[in-house]
Amino acid sequence: MEGFLSTYGSAIVQMALAGVLALSLYLPLMAGQLSLASPGFYAVGGYVAALLSTRVFTGFPNGSYPILLIALEMVVAGGVSALFALIIGIPSLRLRGVYLALATIAFVEVLRVFALNQPWLGGAVGIYNIPQPFFSATRVEYLLLALPLLLVSTLFVARLERSRIGRAFVALREDELAASAMGIRPTYYKVLAFTIGAVLAGMTGALNAHILNTWNPRQGTFDLAILILAYVLVGGSRTFLGPVIGGAFLVALPEIILREVADAPGLHPAIATFLRDGRLILFGVLIAVSVFFFPYGLVTPNLFKRRRKTNVPRLEAAKAAPKVSRG
Amino acid sequence: MSDEVVLEVRNLTCRFGGLYAVDNVSFQVRRGEIFGLIGPNGAGKTTVFNLITGMTPPMHGEVFYKGVNITSKRPHEIAMLGIARTFQNIRLFGALTALENVMIARHIHTRSGMIEGVFGLPPAPQEERAIRQRAMELLELVGLADSAEMQARNFSYGDQRRLEIARALALEPELLLLDEPAAGMNQNEKSALSAFIRRVREQFNLTIVLIEHYVPLVMGLCDRIAVLNFGQLIALGAPEKVQNDPAVIEAYLGD
Repeated sequence: MEGFLSTYGSAIVQMALAGVLALSLYLPLMAGQLSLASPGFYAVGGYVAALLSTRVFTGFPNGSYPILLIALEMVVAGGVSALFALIIGIPSLRLRGVYLALATIAFVEVLRVFALNQPWLGGAVGIYNIPQPFFSATRVEYLLLALPLLLVSTLFVARLERSRIGRAFVALREDELAASAMGIRPTYYKVLAFTIGAVLAGMTGALNAHILNTWNPRQGTFDLAILILAYVLVGGSRTFLGPVIGGAFLVALPEIILREVADAPGLHPAIATFLRDGRLILFGVLIAVSVFFFPYGLVTPNLFKRRRKTNVPRLEAAKAAPKVSRG
Repeated sequence: MSDEVVLEVRNLTCRFGGLYAVDNVSFQVRRGEIFGLIGPNGAGKTTVFNLITGMTPPMHGEVFYKGVNITSKRPHEIAMLGIARTFQNIRLFGALTALENVMIARHIHTRSGMIEGVFGLPPAPQEERAIRQRAMELLELVGLADSAEMQARNFSYGDQRRLEIARALALEPELLLLDEPAAGMNQNEKSALSAFIRRVREQFNLTIVLIEHYVPLVMGLCDRIAVLNFGQLIALGAPEKVQNDPAVIEAYLGD
C-alpha cells in the first residue's frame, strides 16, 4: 500500500480532480447545454490561486503554506469563475448544441491567448514556485484537499439532482419547449447550471495550481475540454455518478491500470513494452470501444432502479394470457 | 358558465413565409366553457395555440387573458399566469418517469431554491412531500398511478396523452388548452375521454379550449365551436349551428 501510494500518489489525486472537472461539464449538460467552457474556468481558478499565493499571501516558508489559505483561494477562485460564467453565459446560452460548444471553445481559446500576452500573468512561462503546504515528492497528501472537494461536489450534485432545481434542469434537457410551458424559465436555469459548473472547475484549477507548483497558458486548453467530455461520455451523462467514475477511470487507465498490467509477472516482454509505451494508443482505442458498446456510458440511472412496478403489469398479463385463450 | 371572458383573441395573424397560417382570427372564450377549435388539416389550429401560449410571436393582433394583454409574454410567464396546454405531437419528458413528469409541472407552485434543495432546509422537504403526493393524486385521476415509475416514452399513445393532461393539471391552470387529446385513442378511450374532460372541468373549475378532429367528440362535448379553414375563422357558435353552416360543410367536404 505504502509503495502503491508513493508510486501513484499524484495519479490518485488527479483521479479525484478529474471527477470534479467532469461534474463541472455534467452540470450544464444536465440542463441540456453542451458547454466546453470548463477548462476556461479551470484556467481562471488556477491563475487566481497562483496570483494570491505568490503575490498576496507571501512570507510562508515553502512546505508550510497553510492548507486553510489554499481552501480560501479555492473559494475565491470559485467566486471569480462564477462571475466569468455569468458574463459569458448570459449571452452565449442563447446558442444551442454545437454552436454553444463552439462559442465556449472560443472562450477557452481567448483566455489562453490573453494569458499568453499578459506580463502580470507571467506570459508563456506563467507563474511558478507556487508555495507548497507539504514537503512531498508524490503529492499524495493533496488528497486531504482533493478528496473533500470531490466528495462535497458529488454530494452537492447528487442532492441537486433530486431537488426542484435539478428537476427543472432535467426538464430543459428533455424538452425545452415543454419545460417552458410548465413555467420553467429556460435562460435562468441554464445560466444557473453553467455557473455552478464554473465554480467547480475554478476550484479544481486553484487546487491543481498548488499541486503542479506552476500555472501557465498550457493549463486548461481545448485538449482538456475534449478529455473532460470523454470523462462524462464514458462514465455516463445521465446520473452524477457517471462523470465521477468516468473521470477516475480514465485517469487511472493509462497512469495506473495499464502500467500495472504491463508489470504483471510472466508477461511476454514485447507485450509489456507495448503496454508501457503504447498505453496512450490503447487509451484512445478503449475510449472508442467503450463509446461503441456503452453509448449511454458505463453508469446509467437504470443500474440503481430496483425492478419496480415496471415489470408487474407485464407479469400479470403473461399470467392472464392462457386464461383468455382458453375462454 | 358565466359571461366573464377568460380568453380573448383579437385580429390574430401569423404568417410563415407567404403562407397565412392564422389570418385575422378573433374570438372570445367565457369562463367555464368547453370551446372547440376545429378545421381541416393545416387550418392553423395548433398555430392559434402556439400564439396564445407565447411559443410563436404573432404578426398582428393581440391575446388577452382575464383582461390582461399577454401577447408579448414568454411561454413560462404565460404558464405562471394560469394557462396550461398539451401538445399535438406529445412532448413529454420521455426519459423520465410518469411521476417525475408530473412533479416537474409543480415547479411554479413551489419555491425552494438550490440551497434549500441541496441541504434539505425548509421549505424543501415539506414541498417535496407535497409535490410527490399531488403528482400521485393526479396520476390516480388519469388512471396511471400503477405505472408511476414507468418511463414516459414506454407508455401507449393514449396513456401518453393522459399523462400530458395530468402534467398540465399539475400547473393548477384556469385555462386548459388541449391539442387533439383523442388522437391515437381507440373508440372506447375516446368515449371515456369526453366524460373525463367534463369531470375535470367541474373538479378544477376549468375553462377548456380543445382542438379535435373527431367530430362526434367535439359535437357532444363543446359548448361552442370555432371553425378554421386556411387560417380564417369561417364559423363560430353552438355545435348544432356550426354543423349546418354551409361554409363549414364546404370546407370539410369540398364543392
